[in-house]
Amino acid sequence: MHHRRSPFLFVALAALLGASAACDRPSAERASPRAQASSALGVSTIQDDFGDTLVLGPSPRRIVSLNPATTELFFVLGAGDRLVGRTHYDLYPSAALAVPDLGNGMQPNVEAVLGARPDLVVLYASNGNRDAAKRFRAAGVPTLTLRVDRIAEFRRTVLVLGRVLGDTTAAHAVVDSVDRTLARVRSATQGAVRPAAFWKAWDSPVIAIGGGSFLTELVEIAGGRNIYGDDPRPSLDVTIEDVVRRDPDVVLAGPESARRMRAAPAWRALRAVRDGRVLIVDTMLVGRPGVRLGEAAVSLARLLHPGAVP
Amino acid sequence: MTVTRSNVALWVGLVAAVGVAALLGLGIGPVRLTPAEVWTALAGRGDVTAVAIMRDIRAPRVVLAALVGAALAMSGAALQGTMRNPLAEPYLLGVSGGAAVGAVIAVASRAPFGLVPVGAFGGAVVAVVLVLAIARAGAGRPDPRVLLMAGVVVGAFANAVIMVALASAPPDAVRNALWWMMGSVAGATWVQVGWLAAYAIASASALLLWAPEIDVLALGDDAAAGLGVDVDRAGRRAYILASLLAAATVAAAGLVGFVGLVVPHLVRSRAGRRHRAVIAAAGLAGAALLIAADLVARTLRAPSELPLGAVTALAGVPFFLVQLRRYR
Repeated sequence: MHHRRSPFLFVALAALLGASAACDRPSAERASPRAQASSALGVSTIQDDFGDTLVLGPSPRRIVSLNPATTELFFVLGAGDRLVGRTHYDLYPSAALAVPDLGNGMQPNVEAVLGARPDLVVLYASNGNRDAAKRFRAAGVPTLTLRVDRIAEFRRTVLVLGRVLGDTTAAHAVVDSVDRTLARVRSATQGAVRPAAFWKAWDSPVIAIGGGSFLTELVEIAGGRNIYGDDPRPSLDVTIEDVVRRDPDVVLAGPESARRMRAAPAWRALRAVRDGRVLIVDTMLVGRPGVRLGEAAVSLARLLHPGAVP
Repeated sequence: MTVTRSNVALWVGLVAAVGVAALLGLGIGPVRLTPAEVWTALAGRGDVTAVAIMRDIRAPRVVLAALVGAALAMSGAALQGTMRNPLAEPYLLGVSGGAAVGAVIAVASRAPFGLVPVGAFGGAVVAVVLVLAIARAGAGRPDPRVLLMAGVVVGAFANAVIMVALASAPPDAVRNALWWMMGSVAGATWVQVGWLAAYAIASASALLLWAPEIDVLALGDDAAAGLGVDVDRAGRRAYILASLLAAATVAAAGLVGFVGLVVPHLVRSRAGRRHRAVIAAAGLAGAALLIAADLVARTLRAPSELPLGAVTALAGVPFFLVQLRRYR
């Protein structure tokens, strides 16, 4: 549908494969960082989101990262040259394109991944990946499954990857820099009237970003309110008329998605569309919870509150 | 179709069912509108949002669902008569498989989304031609049983092609294709409705026109030949018309199963033996049923939707069981 590979494809695909990780566990448990250090007996371990334990050894040299967000982080943490596999959607930074494409990252081809002879596989913690994680472990490959849907999970992921790579200083620097920008945007938009926003991630079916996604948090930080923020899922398919009932002030959509919306007669029922309040987001920038979260928040704030953030 | 005292109730009931289903379909949705608001909005007056909801969302949806349901049910009724087989339905005869192959290829080759229906229709036509060719090669002439088997074989082959195409297609294309295959009238537009209406009315009229031939075919080939009917030709004609009718619905709404199989059985015992009546009654019942099924699809799991094909299959099974008891 989109001729350019959209980062939302990863979200949409996860939703399609029944992968919404948010449904795995009660929501109260989700936000708490589960991957904690336990240095008992002198062995350092990390517990991942499938409850499996990764024993930390020497820093991995051959890493397969099957999640766009973690691939990006490996580059930021200076370990990009150790990647021997990525997903089809890992397009940032551009150096990632040189890493072999091992498919879409959901229910990966186990043999193709093992063929890259990794000493660490990092997977997105969706139900569709349980079987693969089990197989990688059975084949003796250390495997780490991480959910990266929320900003807190992003922070946690950065720190976990930092520990895995043995460089927690860089990891803390990344987290701090992102947090500083987010705080700046939050305070700049604090007093403003908060427009209700509908974030359209896909067209057929219509998929909205839900409360389980970092994008809802970004909208909040940028001085808006997601009309589907009350739904715990990261994304959900919705009917056009339900969007009309929630009557958003603005629509956030990628360029192609916005064009489709303006062309479809049914969307005229939406006040925001009739009033020309379809705001075009830079999907490549905001598509995933990565090191550019701060930048993404700034760009959203500029859309929702022009002039508020310098 | 002669209207007798005994079946007057049937026709009044069917028309009323379509009317009630349509009123519910127009009146119910996430945005609450009073009957008065529904009416003024349909007339194009009042609140802009309400007018757009009625005219651009609910009304095209209801009309599209009615057309798809009617076309599938009529197609099934004609095929069951022609094939003398209560299991015959468009989807069993390769139409759905062919259409799905065409659509999946269109999606996977990143054709503009508007071309998916064209691909679906093309695929269905290819499947129909293939079924006829296989039946001819196998039996020399399109014997109903051979036609049925050829349809099943083409359907199975189509499934294999779909699996290969999906396995090698980019995931975003897979998502679009799967959604399409589960059936939905969610994106209904008046343009779509116009196309399907023109097409369905033409094929349905032809089917009704030639319905008396199906009555004769239903007696068996020998009896039909004895009565001076060109059995091969009549059978082929009914098969092609019924298949193309179903193909158009697939192009408009994806795969909506079970309607073509179940609805004809629901009306057959009451509409009598004449196929003109059976096909017409099936059309009305199919329209009412699919409007209702779509209403369920879009309200049961609000704010999300259920695939229409899943609703019809889930609702179809109990209907079918009731019908089976009646056959005892």
